[in-house]
Amino acid sequence: MKFGIGQAVPRLEDNRFLTGGGRYTDDLTFEGEAWGYVVRSPFAHAEIRTLDVAAAKAAPGVLDVLTAEDLKHLGPMPCEAMVPGRDGKPPAAPPRPVLAAGRARYMGEPLAFIVAESYEAALDAADLVEMDLDTLPAVTDTEGALEAAAPELWPEAPGNLSLDWEIGDAKATEAAFAKAAHRVKLRLENNRVVANSMETRAAIATYDEAAGFTLYAGTQGVWGVRGALAKAIFDIPSDRLRVVTPDVGGGFGMKGFVYPEYALVMEAAKRLGRPVRWTADRSESFTSDTQGRDIVSQVELALDEDHKITGYRVESVANFGAYLSQFGPYIPTLAASMVIGGVYDIPAVYVHVRSVITNTPPIDAYRGAGRPEAAHMIECILDQAARQLGLSPIDLRRKNFIRQDQMPFTTALGAQFDSGDFEAVMERAMENADWEGFAARRAASEAAGRLRGIGMGYYIESTIGAPTEEVRLEITAQGRARFYVGTQSQGQGHLTTFAQILAERLGIEPQAVDLIEGDTQEKDGGGGTSGSRTLQMIGNAALAVCDGLIGQGRDLAARLWEVSAGDVSFDDGLFRVASRNLTMGMIELAARLGELPGGGDEALESVATYEKSGATFPNGCHIAEVEVDRETGAVRLEAYTVVDDFGTVINPMIVEGQVHGGVVQGVGQALIERCVFDADDGSLLTGSFMDYGIPRADDIPAFSFELKSTPCTTNPLGMKGCGEAGTVGALPSLANALNDALSSAGLGNVQMPATPERVWTILRAG
Amino acid sequence: MRHSIKFLLGDEPRELSSFDPTMTVLDYLRIEERRTGTKEGCAEGDCGACTIVVGSLEGEKIRYQAVNSCLQFLPTLDGRQLISVEDLPDSSGALHPVQTAMIRENASQCGFCTPGFVMSLFALYREGAAAGDPPELETINDVLAGNLCRCTGYGPIIEAARSMHQPAAGPDHFEQNSAATVAALRAIQDSQTIHLTGPDGRQSFAPTTTDALAEILAEHPGATLVAGATDVGLWVTKAQRRLDPVIFLDRLGEMKQVNETATTIEIGAAVTYTDVERMMADHYPDFGEIIRRLGSPPVRNVGTIGGNIANGSPIGDSMPPLIAAGATLVLRRGGERRQLPLEDFFIDYNKQDLKSGEFVETITLPKPAPGSRLFCYKISKRFDQDISAILGAFNLTIRDGKVASVRIAYGGMAATPRRASGAEAALQGKAWTRKTVDRAVVALASDFRPLDDLRASAAYRMQVAGNLLVKAYLEAQGAGVETRIIPYREAAHA
Repeated sequence: MKFGIGQAVPRLEDNRFLTGGGRYTDDLTFEGEAWGYVVRSPFAHAEIRTLDVAAAKAAPGVLDVLTAEDLKHLGPMPCEAMVPGRDGKPPAAPPRPVLAAGRARYMGEPLAFIVAESYEAALDAADLVEMDLDTLPAVTDTEGALEAAAPELWPEAPGNLSLDWEIGDAKATEAAFAKAAHRVKLRLENNRVVANSMETRAAIATYDEAAGFTLYAGTQGVWGVRGALAKAIFDIPSDRLRVVTPDVGGGFGMKGFVYPEYALVMEAAKRLGRPVRWTADRSESFTSDTQGRDIVSQVELALDEDHKITGYRVESVANFGAYLSQFGPYIPTLAASMVIGGVYDIPAVYVHVRSVITNTPPIDAYRGAGRPEAAHMIECILDQAARQLGLSPIDLRRKNFIRQDQMPFTTALGAQFDSGDFEAVMERAMENADWEGFAARRAASEAAGRLRGIGMGYYIESTIGAPTEEVRLEITAQGRARFYVGTQSQGQGHLTTFAQILAERLGIEPQAVDLIEGDTQEKDGGGGTSGSRTLQMIGNAALAVCDGLIGQGRDLAARLWEVSAGDVSFDDGLFRVASRNLTMGMIELAARLGELPGGGDEALESVATYEKSGATFPNGCHIAEVEVDRETGAVRLEAYTVVDDFGTVINPMIVEGQVHGGVVQGVGQALIERCVFDADDGSLLTGSFMDYGIPRADDIPAFSFELKSTPCTTNPLGMKGCGEAGTVGALPSLANALNDALSSAGLGNVQMPATPERVWTILRAG
Repeated sequence: MRHSIKFLLGDEPRELSSFDPTMTVLDYLRIEERRTGTKEGCAEGDCGACTIVVGSLEGEKIRYQAVNSCLQFLPTLDGRQLISVEDLPDSSGALHPVQTAMIRENASQCGFCTPGFVMSLFALYREGAAAGDPPELETINDVLAGNLCRCTGYGPIIEAARSMHQPAAGPDHFEQNSAATVAALRAIQDSQTIHLTGPDGRQSFAPTTTDALAEILAEHPGATLVAGATDVGLWVTKAQRRLDPVIFLDRLGEMKQVNETATTIEIGAAVTYTDVERMMADHYPDFGEIIRRLGSPPVRNVGTIGGNIANGSPIGDSMPPLIAAGATLVLRRGGERRQLPLEDFFIDYNKQDLKSGEFVETITLPKPAPGSRLFCYKISKRFDQDISAILGAFNLTIRDGKVASVRIAYGGMAATPRRASGAEAALQGKAWTRKTVDRAVVALASDFRPLDDLRASAAYRMQVAGNLLVKAYLEAQGAGVETRIIPYREAAHA
């Protein structure tokens, strides 16, 4: 089937996007709209002595200025992942106001909101806000926050420790280390990065006495954002707030959360009785979007004489930022620990994470969310073990892989891997990367005065997110298949992929499918798009909804044809009565419902819910090859190979695109992306595209990509998910390739990002 | 005097008379025309989401160039064709080959940066349309140096660029309609000065002769001259400055001329980087490479040497090579002209030897003397599209093992681009040996007291300044020493 499951169908979205037809939040306009501008803290930590907005309020064109004083009726920004610590208590979560009150706790924290007739008027008025801020000592460094000398930011979090969390069997792990023939230890920094979706965040709110609020914003799921705003912040019934998300210009996790600016445009719209809009400029994005990663870990491996891994221990310090973001505490703890031991059969595992409060923007999920951190740890310590013990990293992996015949396999921390043939995937990746030929390539590089390294990252990730998803499908008399979902595309090509499934099952044209997403008014709920969950949830729900629709269609067709439903079959996209040579398509049936004898309001419409039985486990093998200039420390990515096991794949072209983009985000983090805060005053020094490195076209070689899938056994479609996998695999493969290059010259490891300056410093130190 | 601007929006004529003279083309498209396909990603020319293409009449042809609409002021469109992503499909709605290739290669994901990439590739497509050959990877990378994408990882976009000329789809509709477009553009050319008054009373002028410019400037000595707006654009969009009045130099045919004699090159102050890149690379290959790394194609398509000089930035990339090459300026006020060496133009930070009512008219530099070579090195955090931490230019003639002549200039080492007279003295007439060079490196310490700033520390700058001189020495020794991370790109200059 040309458009069915497994076909590389060109995207149905593309015609719109390629011709300027994409409609993102800032592209919307509303009659009578006013423009908002957020006045932000210029300091990482400061006492707000005076915040006088009188002059700003009186400025020409200014309609309103909000400060914390005006928002006393609003609740604080919620954290919805209060993962309990070792003591069973939730993390210390100092309240996060919509606008800072009394104290500013990170550079970029909102202090006031100016609303004016134009953006320029709002911006001009911002200069008139009289601020007397008394700067206080700031701490931005993750491990530094725990040091005795660090300023204590909240009395509720003594020593800046918000959450002291553990999982696993500490005693058994301790025993494994005590008995071990070999112990390997490594310190790993997983650097803080900025998501930098090309579309900055934007929000527009309207208010109507009768209907309540409407918020337009680029989210990753409207219901989650509505819930947080209605329940936690505004304390209104959720039917008093409609959230609408138009096209989203990239999210990567960052757009999944509720933000202060959403509450600000809503409150301002209500006060003024006019639509109020706000769009972040790029500098605002750098300080006001949630950031990703920022976790420092000591990882240790215990091995027996035969080089079987017997124990694995992780001791991490994770940075929460100034406040706990909506899902912040979940990321370094539960999200990471599901796959902490990678694809290896490790009997004893213990993970201890201390999460700290600092004067930095809040941290939350960023593509992979905990799982790139986990893959980085296990894969890097494995290569370190190979180097330390003089083993081949391949042999070490082979020896310790969870074998296919062990599936389903329950890990030491209780994750249930259903399927996967890790060794076969690895072999294929090595073949595609010409692993055997590496020695010759290294010799050639060395002859030219360069170091060369090859690195493998065998990642496994567990898809996460809400475990149920309901979909609705109706076929209209006009021949449209309207598919209502609770997920949210941010560029993943959901329309195309869903349409492929519906087209195959129902025998309709994929072009006939309308995707209805991103509007709380159109549907009762939905879990949004995050954690690589979408197609797994919607795809399987789509199967059920198609079955429901076909069943309904058979009844209706039987009535039209005046036969018994049992005589109607549905195959090859057609309802048939074999004995009478009658056939009719789904679309035709919908158009003919009016002809039903005694018919009234019959509709071809079905609802189905899919509830997943557990996580799925996309996995795969990435191999990176880098060259390092010995004179300058410059690193060049020379080759990149991916073999993935995603289970069933609907559209391999879209999947490859997800992997490619994900890998490049990982390459960015591994080589150039980094948030640098001033050591003295805590201000963000890497706050523009000039100072923050984003990969560009000429940084990236052509990739080799292949799918070698084992279907997932825990869902009907057999799919595993693919949205984050590229990033998860990229960090360890890049890190291992870099360390391999350096170790070939007898040098030590480099932390991410491996900037030329860092590499050069190592090269010089010899 | 004309009190409106006339241009084509796609194929439709537009005439505007009352608008903010420093409204950006991006705001015009998005707010006034409600063409929202063009996006704002950073508003400072770093991300390319706002890329549009401007068509300009050149003889019987239209030249299509990619431009950052976030940095471009509306009056600069006069007499030109503004093409945004909405104009690319033909009248039947059929997609342009660039768009078809992007779809085929899965080169769009969230779609936000996509229109910018489409427009950058469209400009490349038009340039290469006649040849029909797939562009080289290096050319594609150069063209895309100013476009960021966070979703695709670029691979599919590069594939789209490689394959956009195939299968041969015949001439695109811009080609098919070119006679009509040329006629429409010709109809809106004139030599009148444009004088506009915005709704808030702010004024702008766009003269077409230097005489007219001299007159206007004499009347409005406080006016801001705009020759490209890649920097002035930020004064408006980021620093919220309300410039009044503004004089646009882009209609000054005289100041857009490059005249070569047997021994000199005379460049009008409004000549863009794109228009000198090739010529400069022929005479001074290293300078050509510096220009290739200056901003991105959309920046070089509008940025001018004259603007770069008159702006007086201590880190403007063209100054050290020009000073080292021995460039002189012609400054004009009213009917008076005076000439001075470029290095004397820069007095102090943000302070140039420019009298009230005076403007830079031309820049003249000698062609390389026989046996001389100009070495230029730009040090920045990333290779493309970055501001220099330091830029060194070394113009050397070695004869009989001795330094016959030497001019050294640095950017980023002082409040202005400056010559290194101490280092020059240490080299002039001396034996061309490493020992002499080392002495010159020591002398640099008396030439400069660089500053610490966010681009580099003073100590780093001092060290690198010396190292660059040593590098010039090593490269002058001939082949065999690899001194460049990315080897000199013949392709960029071919």
